[in-house]
Amino acid sequence: MKLTFSNEDERFREEIASWLESNLSGEFAHLRFRGGPGDEHAFPEDRKRWEQHLAAGGWTCIGWPESAGGRGASIEQQVIFAEEYARAGAPGRVGHIGEGLAGPTIVEFGTQEQKDKYLPGIRNGTDLWCQGYSEPSAGSDLANIRTRAVRDEASGRWAITGQKVWTSLAHESDWCFVLARTNPESRAHHGLGFFLVNMHQPGVTVQPIEQMTGTSEFNEVFFDEALAEDIVGEPGDGWRIAMTLLGFERGVSTLGQQMQFQNELNDIVKAARANGAAWEPTIRQRIAEAHIGLRLMRYNAMRMLSADSQESGASSLVYKLHWSSWHRNLGALAMDVLGPEAELLAHPPYELTRLQALYLFSRADTIYGGTNQIQRNIIAERGLGMPKETKGR
Amino acid sequence: MDFTFTEDQLAFKEAIGRFLMVEAPPEMLREIWETDEGRSPELRRKMAEQGLTALSVPEEQGGLGMDDVAWSLLTQELGYYAIPDSMADTAYVAAGLLAALPEATPDRNALLERIAEGSIRIAVAHGISPLVADVHMADKVLVHYEGEVHLVSKEALACQRNTSIDSSRRLSRIQFQPDSSSRILGAEAGTSVWAETLNRGVLAVAGQSLGLAQRMLDLSVDYAVQRKQFGKPIGSFQAVKHKMADVAGAIEFAKPVLYRAAYALASGEARADLHVSHAKLACCKAAWLSARHGIQVHGAMGYTWEADLQMFMKRAWALNASWGTREFHQNRIADIVLSDGAPIGPQFTFGD
Repeated sequence: MKLTFSNEDERFREEIASWLESNLSGEFAHLRFRGGPGDEHAFPEDRKRWEQHLAAGGWTCIGWPESAGGRGASIEQQVIFAEEYARAGAPGRVGHIGEGLAGPTIVEFGTQEQKDKYLPGIRNGTDLWCQGYSEPSAGSDLANIRTRAVRDEASGRWAITGQKVWTSLAHESDWCFVLARTNPESRAHHGLGFFLVNMHQPGVTVQPIEQMTGTSEFNEVFFDEALAEDIVGEPGDGWRIAMTLLGFERGVSTLGQQMQFQNELNDIVKAARANGAAWEPTIRQRIAEAHIGLRLMRYNAMRMLSADSQESGASSLVYKLHWSSWHRNLGALAMDVLGPEAELLAHPPYELTRLQALYLFSRADTIYGGTNQIQRNIIAERGLGMPKETKGR
Repeated sequence: MDFTFTEDQLAFKEAIGRFLMVEAPPEMLREIWETDEGRSPELRRKMAEQGLTALSVPEEQGGLGMDDVAWSLLTQELGYYAIPDSMADTAYVAAGLLAALPEATPDRNALLERIAEGSIRIAVAHGISPLVADVHMADKVLVHYEGEVHLVSKEALACQRNTSIDSSRRLSRIQFQPDSSSRILGAEAGTSVWAETLNRGVLAVAGQSLGLAQRMLDLSVDYAVQRKQFGKPIGSFQAVKHKMADVAGAIEFAKPVLYRAAYALASGEARADLHVSHAKLACCKAAWLSARHGIQVHGAMGYTWEADLQMFMKRAWALNASWGTREFHQNRIADIVLSDGAPIGPQFTFGD
């Protein structure tokens, strides 16, 4: 056990901190503290340029192996990067789905040709990705995928037809990884393929969904014989690849999110001090509890990451349930701290304040990426070995 | 001890519920959002025709002379249909305040008569709520100033309008310079009138919150029965149905608290504050839980602008801090329970 950073790590911290400080200025200055969850609609074009600027500085995909174009940064350095990125208020990343999900999946399962073709665009911040998993009939029951992939025997290419939904950032994306059924006779998690689809083609239509925040981060995506550029792995491997990818989702990428949470908690404490709520005993207690909950999350993530090979059972399965519930409660705390002022919009017609956006957006946390109910099923069934609920077919 | 309602009270509630179901469906409320004033004079007129505005105006002024107990049922209907109009502020809170004024107070009877016939909107500005609902439409505003009651027209106030997270709400921050011409009751008598008015405002919020809780539960149960995953309605899964059961429990356990508080207020019980604060906490808690579990059961759909759930959720959240935050009401209860000679023994279960 070693819970401190080495001198080398501290030098790395100085390097990234000073880079961010000098680069989050001028044309990027207005992006500080923007574009996080609930604020994804803020300055998309400027944030795309920032992503490329970040890449030019060598600060994208730092955890990828050097052979894939990354820095092969250690876990400690990735932690430091996430901390400093949040501390500087650097904007929400538009490239995180490519860096955190698509890229590692291609590194793990793709051919050399696919790696050469897709990784540089992610690494350079020029190709943005979205995730084509959920469908109208495949929500919690993700394996109930109906989108079809049909192979043209002459050209050998796959054509995708079907509908995806709740697709974050599809309207800003260049590429989508799509889970589709390659064998029309198959059911559930059998007979699926993992496809890479260019979003800029006539067979792809993106329709934003207006959320209760009044903004649109999610979309419906319609595929009408859209041509897939590639299939990763073989037809029938889709489910296994998709599940491995969800494992990446619970990995290092959560660290940046926690730092974002810390910024939010700081905002709430600031508001509570300003309006006197901080001296209200029940509020004080809840702020302290929020602080404790975030610390726990942080330590648990570090433990998971640093002792990856030792950990088994329920410990990594409880993570999503913990953070989503904690964050939802943080939103409620923010509203209680603000009291009757909490309902006032920042501007008409419907521009939310940061804390309102936190509150409303955090209601989605306990739903996307596996609802709290599904998480509890996973904990009970995989972690505790309890019998599965019978499924109807 | 008898918690039953009279047939009149129940019939009235049922009639109003049926009326609002037809006249104020969610799609109409969405249309009203788009208007600048955010209110439908036509809906208001129809509600008055149903007798809602006359409900607690004394019979001498042309009203029905019903009390807080009847309002504890009707505010639930207003909440169930998320009525945007601040009807209860005029017809319940302001009417109660005016009725409590000495008979000889100038304008008292005339205002009550106009409330009964549905031809006036009165906003109530109590210091506990920095944001006052519907001042922009009010013909008169009753203003709390250091215990005094002032009656002013909105033109006499400096108003700053605000938009709310709930697209139905229209809130104003007001600034008020008192003068003797606007004062209709001095601080000595005014203090107790305002204490009672505060409790009515709180109770109106509690009743609406409970109605909202019920509506969100109904919407969520409907959704869970229709939505299928894993080849079955999601409502068949314990993880989902237990949530709905928890909400039903919270609602049923809040109802008698609301009714107890309404009764305490109607009978002028000395410790009405205790019951009223308890009602607000219990009803808001039920609404909060119903919103939280409702959105969870609706899955991503509940998070959209299109699904009606958000309308009821946002109202519940907005009302949560109006007429006193949770902390205010918790402190009021703590102050009473912890006071010397507090009535907390077995002999006080139902006593005053």
